Amino acid sequence: MTLSSPAIPRGPTLVERLPRGSALLVPALLFLLLFYVYPLAQLIGASLPGGSGKNYALIFSRPVFLRVIAETFRVSLVVMAVTVLVAFPYAYAMANAGRRALLFLTIALLIPFWVSLLLRSFSWIVLLQNTGLVNQVLLGLGLIEKPLKLIRTETGVILGMVHVLLPYAVLPLYSVMKKIDMRLMEASSICGASWFHGFRRVYLPMALPGVMAAAILTFTLALGFYITPALLGSPRDMMIAQMIAGQFSEQLNFGLGAALAVVLMGLTALAFALFGLGRVLLARRAAA
Amino acid sequence: MMTDRLRKTLFWAFVCATALFLLVPTLIIVPMSFSAGSRLVFPPEGVSLRWYGKVLSDPDWRAALGNSLLVGSATAVLASALGTAAAMMLNAASFRGKALVLGFLLSPMVTPVIVFGVGSYLVFARWGLAGTHVGLIAAHTVLAIPFVLVSVLASLRMVNPNLALASAGLGASRLFTFRRVTLPLILPGVISGAVFAFITSWDEVVVAMFVANTGTRTVPIMIWNQVRTSLDPATAAVGAILIAVSALGVVLSYTLKESDR
Repeated sequence: MTLSSPAIPRGPTLVERLPRGSALLVPALLFLLLFYVYPLAQLIGASLPGGSGKNYALIFSRPVFLRVIAETFRVSLVVMAVTVLVAFPYAYAMANAGRRALLFLTIALLIPFWVSLLLRSFSWIVLLQNTGLVNQVLLGLGLIEKPLKLIRTETGVILGMVHVLLPYAVLPLYSVMKKIDMRLMEASSICGASWFHGFRRVYLPMALPGVMAAAILTFTLALGFYITPALLGSPRDMMIAQMIAGQFSEQLNFGLGAALAVVLMGLTALAFALFGLGRVLLARRAAA
Repeated sequence: MMTDRLRKTLFWAFVCATALFLLVPTLIIVPMSFSAGSRLVFPPEGVSLRWYGKVLSDPDWRAALGNSLLVGSATAVLASALGTAAAMMLNAASFRGKALVLGFLLSPMVTPVIVFGVGSYLVFARWGLAGTHVGLIAAHTVLAIPFVLVSVLASLRMVNPNLALASAGLGASRLFTFRRVTLPLILPGVISGAVFAFITSWDEVVVAMFVANTGTRTVPIMIWNQVRTSLDPATAAVGAILIAVSALGVVLSYTLKESDR
């Protein structure tokens, strides 16, 4: 190559325009495309056999499916409400505790976080069965005359799910609450506001972003719960994840199971989108 | 004021009750596993190691423990390699759509695991990965990458970027700089990411249910099958082993982080 045409000045190629070090991102992205996005996309394909939407038509017309979807929503809403209500004082205590109390509360929160959800559901069965500790204590105190039926009920499912989801609600609440300046509460009390009034008008508005983050996280995670309702609930109050598993492992109706899975994915995405919208509205109100 | 005091007492009573609610159902597995009786009740009947003996001599449980260790370790290695590389890039560069890329990489955390499980089931059957260790490792790695990413990104934020520049200025190649400067600084984050990746796989049951077969089934699958048929103290013994391994990992990663400060 001696005499070639003069070098044509050219702009950066596509590769050169990529941010520096992009090659480092490629393996993770490719891996997720292959083993995560592709399976989810296949699920959408399987839910539409021959391009027909009959599986979705079935889900949204048969009462049996609509009931399961409604039940999933109802349980998730109850679990979200209970979890956030219990998490709020816990996070408040963490945000305002001394060093040692904070350490204890953190450990109590993180131990369950790192113990398998399956094992915790298993413990709940042992605790809640007719001869379990909860019934023994209630019988011993004379509060009940015969053992309460607690497993295979919705109470059992809600207890088990709140137990799993509490850390997911406490952590975002705590990260917001530890930044709240408690002198504002003192100021409101010096100005003559009652504790309750100060809490409602001063503290709560500042903690609201944490409450919303906790609520959305617990709600969306609750929508997809499988293990806990399968072990602690009755088949009558089935949640959508159980129905998906049933279609794949018992009914062997993959198309319908895939459609139910896509519905669950859609509901989860919708809940997150609503949360994003809520945050924008909240930020706008704060700016106004 | 009296009402003030009452409110404080009630408040702390509620918080302590919540802490007990968190701890009791998590920890009762351990005393139950040492039961001498053959019924699964709390408090346990007597003390013995018979259920540990039973579990550790049962070929099915031993095979499952082997599978769990193999899949968990491979997941930890693979997820930390992929996650650390991605975290290095995300930490160094700023570009449009970065939040989107990060959100995508973290999204397996919030995708309903049953959805991912049945999706993998469909695809793996076609790829010949159904019932294989490779399939299980791949699926668990997807679930574990977010944990590595969060952990390594947190460590990287503590590292002074000028150190890498200084190393480059002294003529070191990028690989050398990574190996001798950056990696030692972020090692606690990488290790705790690997530990969390291992625990993610070690405890995972829903995806494994759809991907593993009787030859590759892991400990959580065995527990799941067991719990649905009968309550057996052997299950508590296995559970206690699972908890002990997880606890070891968590303590290891926290110790590393503390010594790093």
